Formats: sequence, structure tokens, C-alpha cells
Amino acid sequence: MLKYSILLLFTVSLMFSCKNSKEKTEQVQKQEITLYTHRHYDSDKVIFEKFEQETGIKINVVKASADELIQKLESEGEQTPADLLLTVDAGRLVRAKNKGLLQSVDSKVLDSTIPSYLKDQENKWFGLTKRARIIAYSKERVKPEELTTYEALTESKWENKILIRASSNIYNQSLLASIIANNGKAEAKTWAEGLVTNFARVPKGNDRDQIKAILAGEGDLAVVNTYYIGKLLNSKDPVEVNAANAVGLFFPNQNDRGTHINISGIGVTKHAPNKANAIKFMEYLVSKEVQEIFAKTNYEYPVNASASTSELLRSWGDFKEDHLSLTKLGELNKAAVITFDEVAWDKGPNAQ
Amino acid sequence: MLNKLNRIRRDFNQWSLFTAAIGFFVAIPILTITVYLFDGVGNMWEHIVNYFLLQYIQNSIVLLIGTGILTTLVGTSSAWVISNYNFPLRSVFKWLLFLPMAIPSYIVAYAYVGLLGNGGTLIGCLQTIGFSIQKIELMNIYGLIWVLSFSLFPYVYASSLAMFSSIPRSIRESSDLLGASNWRYLKSVAFPLASPAIISGLFLVFMEVLNDYGAAKYYGINTFTTGIFRTWTMLEDLQSAVYLSALLIVMVVIINGLLKWQRGNKSYAVKGSTDQLKSTDRIDLKGSKRLLVWMIVGIPILFGLLLPLGQLFYWATLTYQKTLNIELLQIAGQSFAIALVTTGIIILTSLALIYFSRWNHLKSLHFFKKIATIGYVIPGAIIGIGVIRSSQSFITFFDDVFSMEIGFIFYSSSVVLIYAYVFRFLAVVFHPLEANSLKVGKNISEASYLLHAGKIKTLFNIELPLLRTALLTSGILVFIDVLKELPLTLILKPYNVQTLAVKAYEYANDERVAEAAIPALMLIFTITISMAFVSYLQKRDQIKRDQIKR
Repeated sequence: MLKYSILLLFTVSLMFSCKNSKEKTEQVQKQEITLYTHRHYDSDKVIFEKFEQETGIKINVVKASADELIQKLESEGEQTPADLLLTVDAGRLVRAKNKGLLQSVDSKVLDSTIPSYLKDQENKWFGLTKRARIIAYSKERVKPEELTTYEALTESKWENKILIRASSNIYNQSLLASIIANNGKAEAKTWAEGLVTNFARVPKGNDRDQIKAILAGEGDLAVVNTYYIGKLLNSKDPVEVNAANAVGLFFPNQNDRGTHINISGIGVTKHAPNKANAIKFMEYLVSKEVQEIFAKTNYEYPVNASASTSELLRSWGDFKEDHLSLTKLGELNKAAVITFDEVAWDKGPNAQ
Repeated sequence: MLNKLNRIRRDFNQWSLFTAAIGFFVAIPILTITVYLFDGVGNMWEHIVNYFLLQYIQNSIVLLIGTGILTTLVGTSSAWVISNYNFPLRSVFKWLLFLPMAIPSYIVAYAYVGLLGNGGTLIGCLQTIGFSIQKIELMNIYGLIWVLSFSLFPYVYASSLAMFSSIPRSIRESSDLLGASNWRYLKSVAFPLASPAIISGLFLVFMEVLNDYGAAKYYGINTFTTGIFRTWTMLEDLQSAVYLSALLIVMVVIINGLLKWQRGNKSYAVKGSTDQLKSTDRIDLKGSKRLLVWMIVGIPILFGLLLPLGQLFYWATLTYQKTLNIELLQIAGQSFAIALVTTGIIILTSLALIYFSRWNHLKSLHFFKKIATIGYVIPGAIIGIGVIRSSQSFITFFDDVFSMEIGFIFYSSSVVLIYAYVFRFLAVVFHPLEANSLKVGKNISEASYLLHAGKIKTLFNIELPLLRTALLTSGILVFIDVLKELPLTLILKPYNVQTLAVKAYEYANDERVAEAAIPALMLIFTITISMAFVSYLQKRDQIKRDQIKR
């Protein structure tokens, strides 16, 4: 009896795991697009479902890290099922473009909605949402007047005060790339060195951990992305809410180039089987309505100027953005990683 | 030369063909990767050597030594106590000690920071009872050793428990008669007897440590595996990443050599009465000794199971409204189905490799057995590359030669994923099965052949039933491994397939650790149920065997 029930279970499982291939053949006739995405936010799921309901076009989602998805696209070549690549930084899109994995898109909607510094010159990728990398400061121990620029974080008064995550993090890489683009390679390296000297501890954990460390008094300043503070404030975990309430937000470099921003962006793949629908989807993503969902549920800044931001984002105030072309960030990404290694960023303050 | 050819012709039979076919099929990814090695190191190699290589080696060695010592200590002491003493709740402890295996290490790593980090749950408790403590710093290499050891010690526990309890009664009795103390018996008899088993458990621990990605990355420790990812993705240098993997494999070969050398040529075949220790042979404990024994089994359970699980439950209460839904149940179903199918295929492949190559007489084919089981030591990401690249050539081949577009089979079904699992985890089933089939010996099979039973018939009627216990234990191990597997699944899973491990990782990686609790708990629950089922099967077998004996 037991033997048969195991056999039955096995057969059912086999059917279950093979089911997918059958589904696929049925879907060929249907309207669908396949999206490779690095984003795992619940807000996205809501948006995808809305799109499916409104247009009848089904979205197949593959989630993995952008690097893995790029590798996958490269390997799959002409037979790729993917129509779109969605990442959380411009650097990876630039890399995908340079590898010849993306194609130009001709869309009036996208052209008129997205400012030119937030997209590719050849229209191979487009920014969807903006994130600012800001300085979170302890409301208790730091006055915002003491803060000015990213560059000023290397001043000796911040010794043993600065919290930031490891160099493997793409947001840090983009920040350093922007400093290389603005100030040159040598100066950027000196900056990174100076920052490491001021570290409160060896870089570890994620952006949320840096903010929690401020509450615990391990350091006074943390370099983090804006939307993480939004997420902490709306967290179910009381520890996280307390941590977010203990910090203020400072948008650096307001008197010169502006605060460093990065994007979450999207591009159509070179061999996309459903290009027309893919473009329709991109246009949908930058529509006023969807952009407002991004702002309200994921605390990101919209790229569509007509979209209103959420109350929380408004409470943080308007700020001047660094209008550096994001393509530059992608080009300088590797130089940034190498600089991080050269200043022993991940070994922390005592290694130098 | 001619002589050699003649010998090959003499030894060749249809099983040689099958062995070679299966061996080659399973070995394709490693062959693909080897081809890469011929392209030389990439342009970032010098940078890696200058800034990282020493650190990777150092950290990996410190991690191996640390976890090696801690898991051996915890694993063998608890196994010893369980197999030799009677105390209240013994059978509960025996069972609980396996369970830390069910929690993925990176989840344990996150849970510990939730407990002991800034504003941690346990820190909060300590503060309310009057301790003025801010946090316990865990995010360093020692913390990583702690976390990995308490989540991996069951590998050592399981193998040494099996060995300790299979020592024949007669040996124990002889030792007692000669006046050896309990301690002396442990030191001079039981421990040496169990050492091959302990070492094989330790080897599994080492492989898991070297392959860990999530925990090391979160704690900011650079190891070979994090380095391979970094080189591949951030420095954009696949070639050097492949070379780092090759170095990692060299390291594994060295470890394997050291362990073998430590074991030396000693072989402790235990002959004589197979009468095993019964519950009445275990020593009853009272008073302070009982307390000590409880501590020995309680500490691993506390740190490996109760604390992380407690934190997960706490997080679960905060987030269940958002994350517990019907979709998650479907995901659990999918994970279960994929793991079950994979386990079945791995068992079949292992059996085919073992028996086909036994029936084949061509010695040169034994090479395929080795190469086919090497997947266990190669980082998942690199296997992913190998599998994608080789399936790609396969697709192009079909397109060019038959002009058939078969890409969709690969990209929209789990075929490639399951194939990669088979390559990755074949060793987990293959080695214990091979060892056990050697232990059974050829006599029985030969007797069966003499009675005119064919090879296949003998396999199904005689040999497989004898391997049943080994099949069950290695099967459950591989089942758990597949359920927990992360990097390969991330790269290779098709869009319409989702697993619990991936779901938990997505939340955690997105800095929503609390939301990861429900999928993680469901994963743990699935594994626990499967382990209970297997242990029930084993118990039933045991009862049957006892009945036959009587």
C-alpha cells in the first residue's frame, strides 16, 4: 500500500513539474510578454496584475539578480523568451547595452515623459523610478547644519562616526562612480580613503542595519537610499520603526551639483519576441497612475513629472538632483569597484 | 598497443556503453567549465591576486578550522550521549538534534542578528531583566563560525550517531570485562571506530561551509564563494571567476586528501555478532550527571534550533497577514514536487552509475564515476554557467541540424533546473550508496546469478532491498539539500516556477527579513515532515527485521 502511495505521489509530482512546458505551448497563441527583473517588491506585483487586467496581456516574470539575468540573456541568445530587462540601477543596463543585449525603442510617450539624463541616448533603456542616496543623521547627536556634501564626510570631525555598507553594494558603487565622474579618479580615491578612516566599524549588513546602528549609537551618520527609510517607517517590526524615527534625512550637495540619484530602469531585449507589447508595457509603467503607485507603496521618486509623490516623500522636501548622465555611472562602475578594493573599503578603518 | 586494444575489446560490453553515456551526460557541465580554463585567466586576475586572494584563502581556512572543531565537538558529544545514556526525554532530543539541518544557514544568520543585534529580541529580554547590554557583535568571522557550526553540526551528529549505535554489543562487553572505564571506552574504542563516519560527516560540513554565500555576504566576510560572485558580476571577469573556482576545487581536493591521510590505512571492519546495543545497555543517569547530559544535548538544540526558530516565529507574528496566502501554499507544493522528482532521478542515476559500472569490466570508465560526482564541491553559480552554456550549444545544434526550435523546453520548464540539481547533488546519494553496496559485497549477488537470476532481476529483488536503509537516508539528505538550494535555483528556474527558499531569499535580500519568516518556516515545516516520514519508515523496517530475527 505504502509503496503505491509513494509511487502515486511521485507521478503527481512529475506531472506537476512538467506542467509548465505544456502551459507554454498553449500560451504561444496568447498575448504575453516575458520580463526579466531584479526587483522583488510587492508593489510591482500589484502593477503587473493591473496591467494584465487592463490589456489582457499576460506577464511572465523571472526574478533574479541583474548580473545573473544578463548572463542568462547572453547565453540564451536569439532564442531567449525574454522581452524586457528590469534592473535597480543604471550600471547594469549600460552593461547589457554594451553587450548588445538591448534594442532601441521608438516611443513618443517614453520620449516625452522621461528626462534625457534618466535614459539612454540611443533609447535602449529608460529610467522608471528614482532613488536618492542621502545621509541619514542621528537627530539626537547631529545638527543638520553640520552637514554639507558627500565630500565633507571625510572631515576629521566625523572620525569614527560614519556607517555604510560593503563595497559589493551597487548603490555604493554608483555613488563612487558619480564622484569619479564629477571630481576625477585621483580625488575620488582620496575621498574613499578619507571616508574609510572615518568609518565607525567594518562595513556589514544592509541599509536598514546602518540606520539601526545609529539608534544604537554605533555611529552618527549613515549613507543610505531614501526608500529604505520609508520602508522602515512602515515596517511591522517596532525596532525598525524606532530606528527610522531616530534619524533625519539630509540631501547633500544642494549648493553645487546636487544629490546623487540612481534609477530603477528597463530596456527591450535585442531578440524580444513580443516587442510591441513590451513597449506598451513600458509606456504603462511611466503613466501617471502607475508612477504614483511606485511613490506611494515603494517610496521611490517618480520619473514622470506629472505624477504626484506620496505624503511621506513630500515631507522630506524637494531637492536638487545631480543631473549627471546615468550612462556615465555604468561606464565608471568597474573603476569604482577597483577603487574600493584599493582603499580596502571592506576591511574597515583599522586596516589602513 | 594492440594488446591494450584487445583487452578493451575483451572487457567491453553493453554496460560499458551505458556507464559511459550516463557518466558523460552528468559530467557535461564540468567538461564545459574545464574548457574555459584553457582560455587563461581574465584581465582582473592580477587585481584579485593583489587585493583578495590571500584573504580568501585565510578566511576560508579559519572558517574551516573553526566550524570543524565546533561541529565535531557538538556533533560527536551529543551523539555519544544519545547512544550511551538513558535519561528522560532522550528520544525527543535524539530527534530534535537532526532538525537544525532544516533551517538554511543564511536564515540562521539573519535570525541571530535579529536576536542579538541592535534592538534585538534577546537583547531586549536581557535588558528588561537588568543587564545593561547594547548588542552582541556577531557580524564577524567568529560570529559566522558560530552560526554555520550550529546550523551544520547535524551532519556530524547523524553520521557519528549511526556509527556509535552500530558498534556490536560484544565489543562493549569485552571492554567492560577488561575493566575499561566509560571514558577509556570512548577514547580507545568507540571514537576510533567512529572516526571514519565522523570524518565523512565533517566533509559534508566543509563543503557546505565553502559553498555558503548568503551568510558570509551578510556578515561581510570575503570567502572564495563570495569572491567568485564578485569577480564574475562586479569585476565582469568570468574567466578569473572560473579560475577561482578551480582553486576552490584544489582546496577541496587537499581537504579530502588530509582527511584520508588522517584516517590512514586503518580500516575498522567490525565483525562478529551484529547484535546491536539495546536500550537496556544504556546507562541510567541521575542527579548532577543527568544535568550535565541535558546540557550536552540541550545547548546545540538551543543555539541551532530554538533561538533561530523563536526569532522566526516572532517575525512571523508580525508579518503573517501579508505573506501567508494561497500563493505561498502553491509555492510550497512546487518546491516539494521539484525536490521529490529530483531526488527520484538522482537515486536512479546513482544506482545506474554504480551497477552499470560494476557490470562493465572496462576499468578506464571508472573515471566517469569520479567526474560525475564532483558537482558537490563546485559553487552553484559556476554550475549554473556550465549548464546554461552547455544547454545553449544543445539548442543551437538542434536549430542548425534539424532546424527545430527547442529553446522553449529549456526555458519554460524545470528540465534544466532538475538536471543541474542532479549534477550538483549526485555525490550526496552516490557515495553512501556505493559504500553500502560494497559493504553488502558480491557474494549474495553471485549466489543469485548462480540460481539463474538475471542482473536486473537480482538488482531489484536482492540488491536494492538490502540498500533500503541507505536509500532512505541519502534520499532524505538530498531532498533537504534540493529544497534549501539557492544560487542554482535563482539562475536556472523558469519564470513560472518558484521555490520556498527563493521566496525567503527574495524577501531577505530585499531587506525585509521579517517577511522572509513565513516562507522560511514553511520550508522548515516541509523538511521536518519529510524527515519524520522517513524516520517512521526506518522504524517500521527495524521492527520487521526484529520480527524476522525472532
